Amino acid sequence: MAYIAKRIGMMLLALFIIILLTFVIEHSIPGGPFTSDRKVSKEVEEALEEKYHLNDPLPKQFLDYLTGILHGDFGPSYKYTGREVSEFIGEGFPLSAKLGGITVLFVLLASIPMGILAAVKNGKWQDMLVMTLATFGVTIPSFVIASILIYVFSFRLGVFPSFGLDSWKGYILPVITLGGYSLSYLARQMRSSLLEVMGMDYIRTARAKGLTEVQVIFRHALRNALIPLVTVLGPTIANLLTGSFVVEQIFALPGLGVYFVNSVSQRDYTTIMGVTIFYAAFLLAMVFLVDVFYVLIDPRIKFD
Amino acid sequence: MSDRRMEEQKVGEIQRELKQRESWERDMWDLLPSTDEAREKIWGRSRTFAGDVWFRFRRKPTAIFGLVLILAMVLFAFLGPFFTPYRYSEQNLDLVNIPPRMRVFSSGDSPLLTITESLRIVTVNQDGTLGRQLRAVREEEKMKMIIFDLDGTEVGLFYGVRPYLCADPETHVIYDQKTVWNRSFLFGTDSLGRDVLTRLMYGTRVSLMVAFIAVTVNLVIGILYGGISGYAGGMVDAVMMRIVDIISTIPLTLYVILIMVLMGSGLASIITALGTTYWVEMARVVRGQVLSLKSQDFVLAARTIGSSGKTILLEHLIPNAMGSILVTVTMLIPSAIFMEAFLGYLGIGLQSPLASLGTMCNDATENLRTCPYQLFIPALMIVLIMFGFNFIGDGLRDALDPKLKK
Repeated sequence: MAYIAKRIGMMLLALFIIILLTFVIEHSIPGGPFTSDRKVSKEVEEALEEKYHLNDPLPKQFLDYLTGILHGDFGPSYKYTGREVSEFIGEGFPLSAKLGGITVLFVLLASIPMGILAAVKNGKWQDMLVMTLATFGVTIPSFVIASILIYVFSFRLGVFPSFGLDSWKGYILPVITLGGYSLSYLARQMRSSLLEVMGMDYIRTARAKGLTEVQVIFRHALRNALIPLVTVLGPTIANLLTGSFVVEQIFALPGLGVYFVNSVSQRDYTTIMGVTIFYAAFLLAMVFLVDVFYVLIDPRIKFD
Repeated sequence: MSDRRMEEQKVGEIQRELKQRESWERDMWDLLPSTDEAREKIWGRSRTFAGDVWFRFRRKPTAIFGLVLILAMVLFAFLGPFFTPYRYSEQNLDLVNIPPRMRVFSSGDSPLLTITESLRIVTVNQDGTLGRQLRAVREEEKMKMIIFDLDGTEVGLFYGVRPYLCADPETHVIYDQKTVWNRSFLFGTDSLGRDVLTRLMYGTRVSLMVAFIAVTVNLVIGILYGGISGYAGGMVDAVMMRIVDIISTIPLTLYVILIMVLMGSGLASIITALGTTYWVEMARVVRGQVLSLKSQDFVLAARTIGSSGKTILLEHLIPNAMGSILVTVTMLIPSAIFMEAFLGYLGIGLQSPLASLGTMCNDATENLRTCPYQLFIPALMIVLIMFGFNFIGDGLRDALDPKLKK
């Protein structure tokens, strides 16, 4: 329990630093958020600063922002009058999470069998095939994969749509693009950890008892081989669930990533800050959950 | 019994012969005086650490392949621009979106003609170089045709179907089609009529430079931070590593973007954004190495002769950790290149007309359907660079791993 308390403490500290850092970066821009080419009269500028509390001393602004976040309020958007940043998050996140959830399932269901196959057929053509695919998946940037998929499957063959999520077909290309990297990475991880476990003494014992190869792999080897996989699962799931900017951008899906990229190109500072903090908090929470889960499934590791 | 005697006889013969040979050799060669010093000396050339690593590195075909690939890229990016007649920013709006492999039309005696995406006809010489643009005379809207003037004869461009066709405006006979390689622009032109090959050279140069500089910045920060943390130990180490732990939980992609937004787009801000975010990994690696090295005897010896902490850290510990640092660097370079391409792709990287591989991909997405080559060429370049560095990194890791030493 002390371990969990300590981890939560670390997590909150990290979150605080993230918020502080984002706040400092945002306020270190020369000029206010309403400085533009058009000359605004002094009264208008003061009225704007009054409205958004920008004339308060910085520490007070920070405290206000912090208490706002604790209430789920990320402040108003500077570019869209009358819109709140939390509204953007509320609109974008469900879609990102849905796409991400499907991708997580796809990645897990595909990468573990691929890794097992490669490890069991170590050195044979199945292994070579899986490893070649995995190397491609890790090295080719997602936007390149997406463009190639769109060109081949949408423009040339016309099998899947190049944008939107109207039917199940719309999910296929985004899921492959989004999951490509994680799939390859996890498959490689699975292969190497299973290979390592298969060389251990207790596996020889299991074989000596006369168990079939299937029993040896699935009842003895796999359980231990899965553990290193769980470590990398946390950040992977968080990244997939919050969606990738590129995938949402290319396939024109209105997820959180698109809101982020749009706010970046429009210099909508509060939205950039809000989404950054939301992402970071989500990532921290996922990593924390996975770390706790990790200790629960592996009795050899103690909370400490 | 006789067998045995014969054998003995044979052995005796051989021994005699050997003795004789020895005496001959003694006559031919003078023996050098043998000294203790000479016996102690190791006559074989001793292999340096770098030589040893190179020896194992070159046994791996993929590693050598990666090295050759990267060297070729560097040559292409830095020497290539001397051999092209174009500049990366040179626009030619007459020759827009011309692919590397062109569809050309010919009506027998007329020269070869190709159609640009902007509905213009350009003549193509027999050797595949581009000629001049034809003058449009009039447009026949009913027939969906634009009529061009080719040295007095009329040529029609039928835009009713895709891909467009060249036909005789009178008889409506479609000219013979074939494809030829583009000799003027080997990789074609982009949507502003700029030479893709030249832009590719500049783009590769920018991407490589950004990656190298950003990684060097990472290297300096990471080595100093990790080195101090590992060497100082105790409270200092604990605090410094907690800071690293916290930084590593921050999603770095977001921060790179945040810094880019604040500093504005441009080469300097990309380098700053990448250089100041990715040093955490390096700091961890260096700290781990320094921790395990600092308890060794050579450090104790250095301390005994009165070396300062700075000397020990910079001249004894860091050089010994160079192996793992090198591996981390080769792994960091592809991620820096990827990040730069990613920023370019999102449109917050370099500004036009400067080219990087990412911005080239970004520019090409608009007309992916008609001109896929504009995307595939820079994309292939990114993939090749990433492969090259990954292969080198893998090879170096294996070459530096003492467990694999034979």
